Amino acid sequence: MRALWRLWKRMRNFAVRRDVEPRLREEMEQHLALQTEENIRAGMKPEEARRQAVLTFGPADAIQESYHAEAGLPLIERLLHDVRYALRRLRRAPVFTVTATLTLALGIGATTSIFSLVHAILLKSLPVSKPDQLVRLGKKADCCVEGGYFRGNDYSIVSYELYTHFRDKTKGFEEMAAFQADGNFLAVRRVHDARTAESYFGEFVSGNYFAMFGVSAYAGRALTMSDDESGAAPAAIMSYRVWQQTYGLDPSVIGSEFNINGKPFTVVGVTPPGFFGDTLKSMAPDFFLPLATEPLVQGDSSLLKHADTCWLEIIGRIQPGADVRSIEAQMQVELHQWLRSHLNEMYAHAALDIPSQVLYLSPGDAGITSMRQQYEDWLRILLIVSGIVLLIVCVNVANLMLVRSLERRQQMALSMALGAQPMRLVRGALTESLVLSLLGGALGLAVGFAGTRLILRFAFETMTAVPISASPSIPVLLFAFGISLITGVAFGIAPAWMATHADPVDALRGANRSTGRVASLPRKTLVVLQVALSLVLLSAAGLLTAALHNIEHQNFGFELDGRTVIHIDPVLAGYKPEQLELLYRRIHDSFANLPGVASVACVQYSPMSGDSWSEPISVEGKLELGRNADTEAGWARVVPGFFDVIGDAIIKGRPIDERDKAGAQHVAVINEAFARKFFKNEDPIGKHFGQGGMEYANDYEIVGVARDARYLTYNLEKPVGPFFFLPNTQSTSYRDPSAASTDVRSHYLHDLVVRMRPGARLSESLARTTLASVDPNLAIVRMQTLSEQVANTFSQQRLISRLTSLFGILALVLASIGIYGVTAYNLASRTSEIGMRVALGADRSDIFALILRGSFLLVAFGLLFGLPLALGVGRFLGSQLYGLNQFDPIILATAGVTMALSALFAAFVPAYRGSLISPMQALRSE
Amino acid sequence: MTPSMKQKTDVQQGTLALMVLKTLDVLGPLHGYGIAKRIEQISGDLLSVNQGTLYPVLLRLEQERAIESSWGASENNRRARYYRLTREGRRQLQAEVRDWRQTTEIIARFLTAKAEQLS
Repeated sequence: MRALWRLWKRMRNFAVRRDVEPRLREEMEQHLALQTEENIRAGMKPEEARRQAVLTFGPADAIQESYHAEAGLPLIERLLHDVRYALRRLRRAPVFTVTATLTLALGIGATTSIFSLVHAILLKSLPVSKPDQLVRLGKKADCCVEGGYFRGNDYSIVSYELYTHFRDKTKGFEEMAAFQADGNFLAVRRVHDARTAESYFGEFVSGNYFAMFGVSAYAGRALTMSDDESGAAPAAIMSYRVWQQTYGLDPSVIGSEFNINGKPFTVVGVTPPGFFGDTLKSMAPDFFLPLATEPLVQGDSSLLKHADTCWLEIIGRIQPGADVRSIEAQMQVELHQWLRSHLNEMYAHAALDIPSQVLYLSPGDAGITSMRQQYEDWLRILLIVSGIVLLIVCVNVANLMLVRSLERRQQMALSMALGAQPMRLVRGALTESLVLSLLGGALGLAVGFAGTRLILRFAFETMTAVPISASPSIPVLLFAFGISLITGVAFGIAPAWMATHADPVDALRGANRSTGRVASLPRKTLVVLQVALSLVLLSAAGLLTAALHNIEHQNFGFELDGRTVIHIDPVLAGYKPEQLELLYRRIHDSFANLPGVASVACVQYSPMSGDSWSEPISVEGKLELGRNADTEAGWARVVPGFFDVIGDAIIKGRPIDERDKAGAQHVAVINEAFARKFFKNEDPIGKHFGQGGMEYANDYEIVGVARDARYLTYNLEKPVGPFFFLPNTQSTSYRDPSAASTDVRSHYLHDLVVRMRPGARLSESLARTTLASVDPNLAIVRMQTLSEQVANTFSQQRLISRLTSLFGILALVLASIGIYGVTAYNLASRTSEIGMRVALGADRSDIFALILRGSFLLVAFGLLFGLPLALGVGRFLGSQLYGLNQFDPIILATAGVTMALSALFAAFVPAYRGSLISPMQALRSE
Repeated sequence: MTPSMKQKTDVQQGTLALMVLKTLDVLGPLHGYGIAKRIEQISGDLLSVNQGTLYPVLLRLEQERAIESSWGASENNRRARYYRLTREGRRQLQAEVRDWRQTTEIIARFLTAKAEQLS
């Protein structure tokens, strides 16, 4: 209690800067006066009386000091004093301060901006209540719809029936919710609104979805279990983003009628502003609909009733204290029970495969972590890269500080000689570097903020609603602060250490004679380190850039120029399968007649659009659909003229054309890889194959072979895989309901590829009106040129290689500055030596070579040390290089030469200046 | 400042504080000089060369709310700071006197102990 009171008083004194000195002075004065009077009374002369009084009083200064210390908070005062002193010293050296602060800001800013991404994508939990209680089924993020009962050990997406089985049987969950693995576009229009339907991203979720997350509606109400019953009035909840951006926070939206894919829905509420659903992805859902309304909205392509179609992710909130492992074991048993109950719908001997079906539960705090999966490796690389930049920054600033502390050696020595405590000097030096690093950190935060925004813009340039905010959060602020402190200590420790080793005798000796040569060793080591690290970054940047160039400029097998892709969704406009053929014909004709259009074709999905369909096949007379044989092939439905429009050459047989009507022989065009894989040396034309088991093996007759085209956006480092094209007019009736549903869905062609005549351009407004003339309910989901579509595929790689190059250049510049600094400083400390050499007959070129040789050695050492590191980085990047040789000698050599040249250029200027030194000048400098 | 000097002041500070409290308890409100004189009278030369060290101790006691102070007129008609014991100070004094008594008693017993008592 007493101590507390005292602390309070002292803090108050400190805070209000109350000066206790006058009071002490007055008391002292009074004390001395009384003592003097007494001394006089005792018979002393006045002066003597006063002198004795002062003597008995004791050392006034020391008393004053301890009085002051008692009054305030000496520790903090001393700290403030040190900081003020450091600031004053930094103000005296503006060039040094600005250089160091900017360098630090770049380094800290780069690291912070990467960390904000790491934090948002890899570390953050969903913005829901108590995310640590959430558990999800499966480990990987799967997309989007998979057929079949068996998922091996990868049960992350399941069918609706399996979900309800788990939900009703499993104990230990408070709530278990299911939701669509990936959303889909919905055509949404408010009833009685003049606007036409617009496409929004939506997701079907179970009725307890919001209850499970513990998220309540921002306005109106959230969806409940009663909304998710068949026969319930269709209800939907809207995202805050749409409510704000499209409807201006209009409260009348809540409770009003909407048309979603032409079906009447009531919007019952709005989700909270920060809520982005279950998955951090580049497009957050704008509408959440109950699972029970899925058949209503999706019509014939509905998935809800298919027990063997997996399309739902599961996340549940476990009861407090429940054991996840025992729940997992329980669900495992339930899975096997459920599979056995469907045995009669499966293939022969399927029962043998049931025991090998395994499911896992994993933490669900971050929801479905597809983005984490996608970006983890890249972010790790970027974090390491920015860390290296920060290290180089530290090295550079440490170097500057060392030079400074060498210049202040004499002053330090003098301070020591006059009795300054070594600790005090170290504290001063460390305070200075900490002040510097905190200044740099504050500025770095601004740089980091701008950097994050820039990266987000680049990374998601085509996306509209990225739920990642660039504004710094508490963890990011703490990170930046922590990094600044560590940086400050890292580059401040060497100069501080040198401060304690200032020898008082130096002060007496006067001029800094050649002791500098010994002291330059740490600085030289630092430069070697810098060169090595820069080489690492440069070669990483070179490798990534070369790899990107390779994949971007590969032969795609189709033409990029003059093609525009218009993405539409006929499901949204409520088309039935039997209406599709006519719809595509009308779309084709109305676009073909536009000015500048050379040809038009519709396709299920265009090359490199990101979509992919693949199915196991069986070839007539060839292979049984084995469990282990890899018979997967990609496929897409097209209309006549498609190959001509995208410029994919038919090298054998004929393309799909008007002959391929519904009633005619089912045909297919295969690619070269398909022919190579399934018909090695035979002529594939006229052969038969089909999707699924052997009973369909004679379904399609091969009529043509197309040149291999890069159609899918994954496995880019591998050769093009087998692929086949089917006419959209023909369909097969499969016995298996899931396969039948797949066949129905495949007839919805989503991409319209328009080939323009040279020089002509298709404007989006013209495309819109043309499409509206066919059917006003058809909305354009997205429109871009084929080159843009391809380029978007590599946007992530482009971002990484750009950032790494940026960091590489930064490192190069910093290392060059470091070399310049060291060379210049060495020159300054060797002025007299050089003067002597010149006086003794050395000519200019000798001096020039002498100085340059020193720098060259440093660079050579740096490159030597950097080489194994750079090779290591190549190994580390390995799989990210799309088949590029990870030890590419040309790239390594280029990086090395670039580093060496810029380093020598940096050393050139001081060397040239050195060669101009005259003996007289050297003498005068003493 | 050499270490031995510092240690000496530390020891003095504790005893000095107790002396200040006792003086104020017995004599009532006093100014710094008065306190110094009384302590000198009783303790001999403890403060004879270092009267000034009293003032930081007074400040500390005041911050601990053991004493309070106000300006008043002194015998030579100048402004002087008068210190007086608070209730809290009296409590503190009693506690410390008890502690001191105990300590000195133990130490005294120890110092007068005979060889056979310690063996």
